Amino acid sequence: MSSLDPRYTWARQIAALVLLLIAWEAAGRAGMLNPLFIPTPSQVGGALSDLFESGRVWTHLEATFTAALLGLALGIGVGIVLGVAGALIPVVAELLEPVMTLLNAIPRVILAPLFVIWLGIGIESKVALSFILVAVVIFFTVYGGIRQVDRRLVERIITLGGGRWALVRHVYLPSVAAWVLSSLKVAVGFAFTGACVGEFVAATRGLGYLLSFAQSTYNSALMFAIILLIMVVVLLIFAVAGRLEKYLLRWS
Amino acid sequence: MIGLQQPLAGTAEPGFAPSEIGMLFQDDALLPWKTARDNVALGLTFNGMGRKAALEQADLWLGRLGLTGFENRFPRHLSGGQRKRVALAQVLVMNPKLLLMDEPFASLDAIVRARIVQDMAELVERDQITVLLVTHDLEEAISLSDYVYLLSQGPRARIKGQYKVPIPRPRDPVRARMHPAFAPLYEKIWNDLSREVGLDQREEAEAAE
Repeated sequence: MSSLDPRYTWARQIAALVLLLIAWEAAGRAGMLNPLFIPTPSQVGGALSDLFESGRVWTHLEATFTAALLGLALGIGVGIVLGVAGALIPVVAELLEPVMTLLNAIPRVILAPLFVIWLGIGIESKVALSFILVAVVIFFTVYGGIRQVDRRLVERIITLGGGRWALVRHVYLPSVAAWVLSSLKVAVGFAFTGACVGEFVAATRGLGYLLSFAQSTYNSALMFAIILLIMVVVLLIFAVAGRLEKYLLRWS
Repeated sequence: MIGLQQPLAGTAEPGFAPSEIGMLFQDDALLPWKTARDNVALGLTFNGMGRKAALEQADLWLGRLGLTGFENRFPRHLSGGQRKRVALAQVLVMNPKLLLMDEPFASLDAIVRARIVQDMAELVERDQITVLLVTHDLEEAISLSDYVYLLSQGPRARIKGQYKVPIPRPRDPVRARMHPAFAPLYEKIWNDLSREVGLDQREEAEAAE
């Protein structure tokens, strides 16, 4: 047998997926799968199109998106500020490092119930969870990154006659931007994790809420549909983040 | 000499303002997120020149160093020799009166190095720039310099010898090696250098123009 042609990797992957779906559907229709646990692909598709046709999906999508994007923006902003402060001011580093290390070590989603008590079942508790997930990651990226800025670049700017502001503008800011962008995908993933888990714990809207609703009614087709929907949403955002990263980091 | 380090004894008097001194080191780094022309224009904008005028100057110097057509490339997309040319342009665009160089071309292969050295020597002669070049390469030292100073092994390196290079200017640094005065001077400095190296296993030669 000849070796695999790497140009058609995607074709083979799609073919395998289609075959799997067909087998799955056939097994379901033949009564080999309990629909209570494993719905067939056509049932999942039906549940998904129901969500959109009835129009009730939009309010949930909106809630999750809003919480995730707010948490992402806040987390990136605060993560950068704390990271820069920690890298440049020793006393801040002393105080922040243990807290951040602790927050980094624990599964931060365990804070979700606490946020619900503090902030209620509205969007605030989801934003908070999203935020804390993202901020810790960004903090460590920026904090570690600034301390590893290429000394040669700093010396170069100084020997060319640049001052403090020139260093910040031409060396530190671009470095920080590069590190943040390179961890943007991880941050996006965390932002959605935070939003969904928050909704899972207590909410009246959102994809996570919809998911827990499906669970409580044993509606496995709806669960599969929502999982699929969240995957597609996050993949779309990954694609946008990837484009952004590629454009802004085109020098690397 | 520009205040990076304090002298142990005595004083260093370059006779130039810091802004008139350019520096080129072996491991010079260009800003990776800036194009060649933005890198070259950087120093001028620090001195208050407008961005547009600075970029024009940058393009001019990139052209002089044979980099026309590469102005908008990022350092990553340039070869090692091209990057070194950009670093050289970055310094020369500032119109330095004195150029301090510490093994600036050590990381380049021999042919690329010879060509850059040729181009640099031409520009330095044209603009009458004083150059202080630190090198381990005796041939480079003699072919480029008016005076060669031999330094003892550091720390606390001291000047061990001073030699005048009787090769006339303008010179081609490659042709200079074939000048009748080259070989005798090379032998003389080499003998002194060997004695120095024999003492402590490492060589250090300094040449100044």
